[in-house]
Order: sequence, then structure tokens, then C-alpha cells
Amino acid sequence: MIRMPLKASCVLVCALLLGPPARAEVLQPRNDAEVVETLPGVLGDRAEERKLRQQWAANPRDPVLAASLARRYLDQARDQGEPRFAGRALAVLQAWPDAGTAPDDVVLMMAAVQQFLHDFDGSAANLQKLVTRQPAHAQAWLTLATIRRVQGRYADSDQACRALSAVPAAALYARACEAENQGLRGEFAKTRASIGQLLATPQLQAATQSWLLTTLAETEARAGRPADAERAYRSALSLRPDDYTALSFADFLMEGGRHAEALTVLKRMTRTDAVVLRVAMAGARLKTADATRDAQQMRDRVAQANLRPQAQTLHAREQAMFALVVENQPARALELARANVGLQREPIDVLLLAQAARAAGQAQAVQEAMRLRDDMGLKDARLDALL
Amino acid sequence: MRFFERIAALALLSAAFAAHAHKASDAYVQLTGSAQGLTVRVDIALRDLDAVLDIDADGNGQLTWGEVRAAWPSIDAYVDSHVQVDGCALATPTHALERRADGVYAALSYAAPCVPQAAPPIRYTAFADVDPTHRGIARIALPGQAELVRVLDPRQPQAFAAATPGSAVSMASAAPVIDAPAGFLQEGIHHILTGYDHVLFLMCLLFPAVMRRTPQGWQPLPTLREALWPVIGIVTAFTVAHSITLALAALKWVSLPGWFIEPAIAATIMLAALNNLWPIFGGRVVLVTFSFGLLHGFGFAGVLGELNLPGLQFAWALLQFNIGLELGQVVIVLVAVSAMFMARRTLGYVPVMIRGGSVAAMALAMLWLVERTADIKLLPF
Repeated sequence: MIRMPLKASCVLVCALLLGPPARAEVLQPRNDAEVVETLPGVLGDRAEERKLRQQWAANPRDPVLAASLARRYLDQARDQGEPRFAGRALAVLQAWPDAGTAPDDVVLMMAAVQQFLHDFDGSAANLQKLVTRQPAHAQAWLTLATIRRVQGRYADSDQACRALSAVPAAALYARACEAENQGLRGEFAKTRASIGQLLATPQLQAATQSWLLTTLAETEARAGRPADAERAYRSALSLRPDDYTALSFADFLMEGGRHAEALTVLKRMTRTDAVVLRVAMAGARLKTADATRDAQQMRDRVAQANLRPQAQTLHAREQAMFALVVENQPARALELARANVGLQREPIDVLLLAQAARAAGQAQAVQEAMRLRDDMGLKDARLDALL
Repeated sequence: MRFFERIAALALLSAAFAAHAHKASDAYVQLTGSAQGLTVRVDIALRDLDAVLDIDADGNGQLTWGEVRAAWPSIDAYVDSHVQVDGCALATPTHALERRADGVYAALSYAAPCVPQAAPPIRYTAFADVDPTHRGIARIALPGQAELVRVLDPRQPQAFAAATPGSAVSMASAAPVIDAPAGFLQEGIHHILTGYDHVLFLMCLLFPAVMRRTPQGWQPLPTLREALWPVIGIVTAFTVAHSITLALAALKWVSLPGWFIEPAIAATIMLAALNNLWPIFGGRVVLVTFSFGLLHGFGFAGVLGELNLPGLQFAWALLQFNIGLELGQVVIVLVAVSAMFMARRTLGYVPVMIRGGSVAAMALAMLWLVERTADIKLLPF
């Protein structure tokens, strides 16, 4: 028998009793030069960011300064998948608590931040106010169309796309907006034709081409044409590699059982929650050497996020995917997938509900997913194969 | 058109990005109660602290241990003014760093001498102006009670005061800086009223203040006015002296060990009592009071140390404690001197009060002296 000194055993027991519930590891730096934390990178120059922050602090009611600093923070939040910066963007906009009287740019930024933070209803309400007083505000209509699409409200999204088409400078975006909704409703040929024409527009920016191709890729995946989808994904990524497209492509590859290829795409990316989740999913399927470590990392992140009550709903999509694929807990995955479709209804969310329902062996839940699909008017070959 | 195209593309993509959010900014406040007091642990992400304190002194995005160490005082001050537990003064914390799933956190640990019966309200205002989505996640574990979890919204610091019966008053009071040490005035009053040794010392000096020492023995003073000046002289000397050493010791400029101070205070009582039986101070009562008062000040400082004064508001708390002491002292002196003045002509005043009282005080002080030197317990107080 190993005798443990009293003090050491107390330290152990006390740590178990009093320690924070999520795993926290004590750091003991050896010298002053040791780097203990790398701060999230800022977009551009750190000194410039501080200067902008100080300028804003001196003039917190300057709408141009506030909107540009908020834009910077939101870009940073998107770039790093770090909602802290979305919070900072909101803070910058706090000087205008009433969207009814706030300057246009401030309301638009507010809505964009709310969208990022999954407050879709709040965001849509602000955008409605903005388009009521500025009916030709293209950006507001476009964002509103996107939010309604994410909510699965295709008719409302169409309405916003139509309003957008009344703004001459936004013709391309209006058509892309409409084409995407057509694809979601199963009018795949129309989407294919529209996006093909838009891509033929002379002097199109790479970024614009890239998202048109991503829209096309996602449509082809739903249309059950994986070869065309893959071609579009690869073109989009070669034009302008961005995290959204890469993640969407990784999901597409995993749906096709191509986990090793998905892993290759993911390994090149910053390890945000979305990336670690998918690395863990692919690793679990392939039984890679790092699978246990990646799963544990994701488990820790989930545990820590869930220390905040109600946080689970906001991360329900990711947590449902994790429970389903990595943890092998279909009942829990189903519960989370159900909570998730209360918030967002992109095709992946309905698909997740159907997959969890199937895995849990719950016929009633499968019916639920089918009803949701039909109510929304969504057409997705992957769903049809499951339901 | 180019600009518009760029922002439009961002907007379209952003909807998709929204689906991949991380956890938001949280800090963790853990309250653990025991019969000895409350331990409070506050964990805040370094990246959050950097947003308000610019910990990254050289601005290179890499936080070194040296930069964090240099920032501890400002971190302490920030937590001190943004996290307050109702009814518990949080003094200087110990520091640690912890790695959590989303980064490295500063972990501050406090020991507060309070024993709350119910979960105390927490006034939490951290990052209210830099990140409205930030929350404090409080876990409160008191002995014999189920652990509570509370979400603290920095922009609604009063919410929990209203929700917790019986605590609304203290939480509703205004500015947090004044809020925290509000108890120190009461602590000062409480300490002088229950600090029997200080009161006894003062009494020994005051017994004869309503009398005059003559070759024929003690004679009552004819008017209160004549008694007033000696009383004021003694009380002022004691006050000035103990205030000086209280401040010096509290600021940690001068420190004397407790094994010396406590018995020495007992000895001052014995000498003051002895002086009433045999004149040993002569006409230098005020001077002697002053020098003995210096010793008593160190005694007060010892109490102050146990109270864990908040770092940032140290001077304010010290002043309040001192004012509390003096207020209590004024009450004692007024009551005692009035009673003595009225009783001064009674037959028993000299033999009972002055001689008897002084002998009793000497005996008591002697017992204290033994207790405090030998570190044993003879008296129940």
C-alpha cells in the first residue's frame, strides 16, 4: 500500500472538492520571459487598433467611428470564431440603445452583430426598422434575406430578395439571393442557370465568384449531384479560400464518407470550435492517433461553454453533432438537434435532426423532421434518403 | 461598386459563419463558505483583462509572465471595484494562472472573515462597458446548503439584490467604491466597545479625573469645568497616539510582534491603575497616556489586519475604522465621566471606585498579562 502524506492527500481531495467544475490546469511559469498566453490576433496592426479604440473612447457618440470600430471587431469575431469580439462590437454601439433613432450604419452593424450572436429575431427586427425608413438600403435587405433563410422562412426571404432587386446597383445580389432560395425549394435547374449567368458577368471579383460557387456547390449537394458539388467547392476554394467554404466542403466530404480527405481540409484551418468539432468527428470515424485528444479538447470546450446556463441552446448544432458522431449518444443528440431547429433551420440543421432521430430509433422524431422539411418547403436529396 | 461588393459578400457569408460561434466571454466566481469564513475565487480570462487594462505592455500580442506579474496590482484593483460580495470585504488576493479550454485565466483567491447564513448578493460589473455579452458565472457553496449557480449580468448589478430578501438595503446603496468598506466604521465602534483592555486603560486614567490629589488625599473637584480639561487632555493624548501607530502599522511601515504588543497593553493598564494608588506618573499623566497610547494603536492595527482591508480603498477603510474607534470612545468617555462626576462626592467614591476599581483593574490586567505571555486561557473574555 502506498502511503500518501497527509498534506498531499488533502491537496488532492480539496482540489476534487473545491476545484472548478470544468478542467482547469494550473500554470507555473518559470521566468518573466515565458509567454503564458497568446492574445487573439487583431486584424491589421495592434497599435492601430488601440488608437482607434482610444479615439472612439474620446468620442463615443461619433457614429462613423463607432460603426467602423464595430465592423472591425465583428470581422475579427468572424475571422477567429471568437464571440468576445462580437460583444466588443456591441459595446461600441451601446451609445444608441434605440434602433428607431440610431444612425443607419449603427443599426446595420447592430443587426450584423446580433446575427453573428444567433439573435436572429433581434437582428431581423432591427433590419425591418432600417428598411422601413430606407427602402433602398441594399445591404439591409440582403442581410434580412439571409436571416429569414437561416430561419427557414423562405417566403419572407424571397420578399427581401425582391425588395433588393428594386435597388439597381444590387441587381447581381438580388438574383443570387433569389437563386439560392429557388435551390432550397428544389428548383435546382433554375439555380444552376442563374448562378451560371452571374458567374459569366465580366470583371467579377474573386470574392463574389467564390461565394456564388459556394452557393452552387451547396445546391448541387442537395440536388444529389456530388460530383458537380465537389467541382464547385474546389473552384470556390481555389479562387479564395475562406473558412466558411472550407467547413462546408469538409461536411460535404464527411457526408460522402470521405473522412480522410475532410481531415486534410480541416488540418489547414485555425482550430476554432467548428474545426475541432469536425476534426474530432473525422478522427472518431477513422480512429486516428489524435482522435482521443481532439475529442477531449472538444469535450472540454463544450463543458466550459455549458457552465453558463442556457448556453447549450446557442451551441446546440455543434453539440448535437458531437454527441451523435463522437460520443455515440443518439438520445442526447436528438434532444439537442430538436432545440437547435427551434433557433436555426438551415438544411444541415434539418439533416442533423433526421440523422439523430434515425440513430435514436425514434419513429416519432423522424416524422417530426419530415414535417419540418415539408413545412419549410425544403428539398434535399440527402434528407430524402433518410426520411 | 467595389466597396459595396465587398460588404455584400461579407454579409452573405456571415450568416453561415454565425452558425459556428465559440463560447462567449465568461468569468467564474466561486464562493465557498465555512465556519471560519468565506473563500472567494475569481477567475477571469487574460484576454478579457487585456481589453480593459492593456496587460500586453509591449503590444506584441504575446503575454509574458513578467507582463502579467506587473499587471497584478491593476488586475486586483479592477476586480476589487467590479466584484463585491455583500457584507464581505475582499482584501488582498493570492494569484495563480489557470489554463481552461478557451485560454488562460487569472485566478484570484480571497479569504474573507464573514460567515453568511444565506447566499450573499454579488455586485458584479466587470466588462459592462467593453462586452455586454460577458457574464459572471457564480457558484455559491455554503455549509449544509445545496450549491447555487447564478448568472451575473454586469449591466444589471442590482438584479440579485432585489431577488434576495433582506439584502436590498446594502446593495442599493450608491457607488461601489464607497460601498465596500462601509462596514469599517461599525467595525471601529464595535472594536472599542468590546475591546475591554482599551476601555479599562481609559477608565483607570479617568477615575481620578473628577478628583484632585491633595496631601490630605483625593478631593472632589467643585465644578465639571475643572474636570473637563484633564479629561480632554487624556483622551486627546490617547487618541492622537493610537491613531499614529494604527496608521503606521496598517500601512506596514512599522510593525511590532503580537507577543510583545498584547502583554505590553496589559502592562499599561497595571501601571495606570497603580498610579491611582501611588502617584508614579507625577504631573506627566498626559505624556504617559500618549506613550502608552502608541502601544494601544498597534493593538488596533492587529484587528485591522484580521479584517482584510480592501487594497484600493485602504486609506478610506482605515480612516473609517479610526473614526469608528473615536466615536465609540467619545460615547464611553461621556457616559463614564458624567457618572463619575455625579458620584464623586459619595462616600464610597475614593475607596470603592478609585482604590477598589484600580486594584480590580490591576488584578484583571495581571491575569491578561499572564494569559498573553504564556498563551493560556484564564478568562472567558
